Amino acid sequence: MAFVKAGRADVITRPCPPTKRALAWHSMDPRPLPRPNALTAPYWEACRRGELTVQRCRSCGRRVHLPEPVCPHCGGTDLPYEAVSGHGRVHTFSVVHRAFLPGFAIPYVIAWIDLEEGVRAFGGIVGDIAPDDVRIGLPVRVRFDDLPGFGHIPNWRPA
Amino acid sequence: MQGFSGKAAVAGVGMTDLSRHSGRTELQLAVEAARHAIDEAGQRPDAILGYHLGDSAPVIHVARELRIELGWHNEIYGGGTQCASILGDAAMLIDAGLARTVLVYRALNGRSGRRMNTLSLKLGEGVEEQFTHPYGLAGPVQQFALAAQRYLHHTGLTEEHLCAVVRGSRTHAVANPRALRREVEDYWASPMVASPLRRADCCQETDGACALVITSADRAPAAPRVHAVVRGGGPGASAMDRTDDVTRIFSSHVAGPLFAAAGMTPADVDVALLYDAYSWLVPRQLEDFGLCARADLAATLHDGLATVNPHGGLLSEGYVHGLNNVAEAVRQLRGDGVNQVPGAEVALCTGFGGSYGSAAILVRPGTGR
Ligand SMILES: [Zn+2]
Repeated sequence: MAFVKAGRADVITRPCPPTKRALAWHSMDPRPLPRPNALTAPYWEACRRGELTVQRCRSCGRRVHLPEPVCPHCGGTDLPYEAVSGHGRVHTFSVVHRAFLPGFAIPYVIAWIDLEEGVRAFGGIVGDIAPDDVRIGLPVRVRFDDLPGFGHIPNWRPA
Repeated sequence: MQGFSGKAAVAGVGMTDLSRHSGRTELQLAVEAARHAIDEAGQRPDAILGYHLGDSAPVIHVARELRIELGWHNEIYGGGTQCASILGDAAMLIDAGLARTVLVYRALNGRSGRRMNTLSLKLGEGVEEQFTHPYGLAGPVQQFALAAQRYLHHTGLTEEHLCAVVRGSRTHAVANPRALRREVEDYWASPMVASPLRRADCCQETDGACALVITSADRAPAAPRVHAVVRGGGPGASAMDRTDDVTRIFSSHVAGPLFAAAGMTPADVDVALLYDAYSWLVPRQLEDFGLCARADLAATLHDGLATVNPHGGLLSEGYVHGLNNVAEAVRQLRGDGVNQVPGAEVALCTGFGGSYGSAAILVRPGTGR
């Protein structure tokens, strides 16, 4: 369904952790799904194409993320989404040992990522790293994982 | 100096037992705490203010139970940010002549009823949740764990120092019969909730109520006065997507205005009731309020602070959304606090809600402050 946009990001299916939910049908994955609205729909559509995009203000040229209807820097209202490199560093993180939402296998890592382009993105730290080895400053790269019932969402893996 | 400075006094405080399962309604809890506070004050309220997150007893029900002929009354939607600034709301009503005596309360079944742990702290229109919920970020503990991790990174503090904060809190609470956590447990055995925060680093959701009776200073000449109150906030931990410093909390925004309004400096503070919903908020506020320089934090936390949350704070006494810390500030200024700070004349109390919040200075009358 999704495909790799060459040189941009790797798209792989999410390896199911060894929990009972690995046995569940995809449609029964209890994790919350993103609920796109008019503002954010283009972002999630790009994710489905394996592309990470953030808004860029036509008036002042600055990037804006998380999405805003109005530029917080200049008040501009034309903020189209543009592709970004998908490279960044961990700004801060937490290894979660007690989940307050259904469907998450503990421990898992959540993080704010400083993107090369100067905005901050959120996501999980996944891939070939133990949760306790995650550090502030760790170079990471976007990875799209399938969230059953929704499509691809960006996560972060060690670069 | 603020117009209401010195015009209003906290004439009485009241609390219910704090527990994990009150078995009572929020209304019953509110009324019991209010009766204690009214008895202590010896003044009948003609106005009531409460704050809540949709989880408390309505003001008019409290008035009916207490047979108060209600004048000015209001319910403020909010949590920890309100606990200090509501003193200002009450003082303004009194100074303006809109009320003689104001009952302030917070009541909640925070453990057995509606719990905080998944409460959304979203700002704006909720766009943020679709970017965080799918990754398993929900609720204040995880959000403020992210800030705490960065704070440790910034300051060079470690989990050893968080341990020292918790140990200090528990050590104080041993002498506090109201406290829910009165034993100095093995910090390192406490389960991690969201690194670097263990269960022991987080205040405990609590059932209970706290009430204050605030009246004009001339009606309660010996009671602690509301000297200065500020409320504000800005960039920081409440919007981590677009702030230079995700570790910034309310205190870095309100500390300067508070001391300016009070005509005081940090050296004037005798006892500090800091909103310690999480252990790391203590060093962060010590820095922001000028009570300890960053370079001295490690040694200061290790040695313990007799003048900070002497009753054990929210971490150990319990969590009545900060109002129980304000009640202890009042007791400390009257001289009947837990681990009483000798001769305390000036108390700081604070209300946290991420990078928004409030702070107040109370003073003992007759000391020339
Ligand atoms: Zn702009």
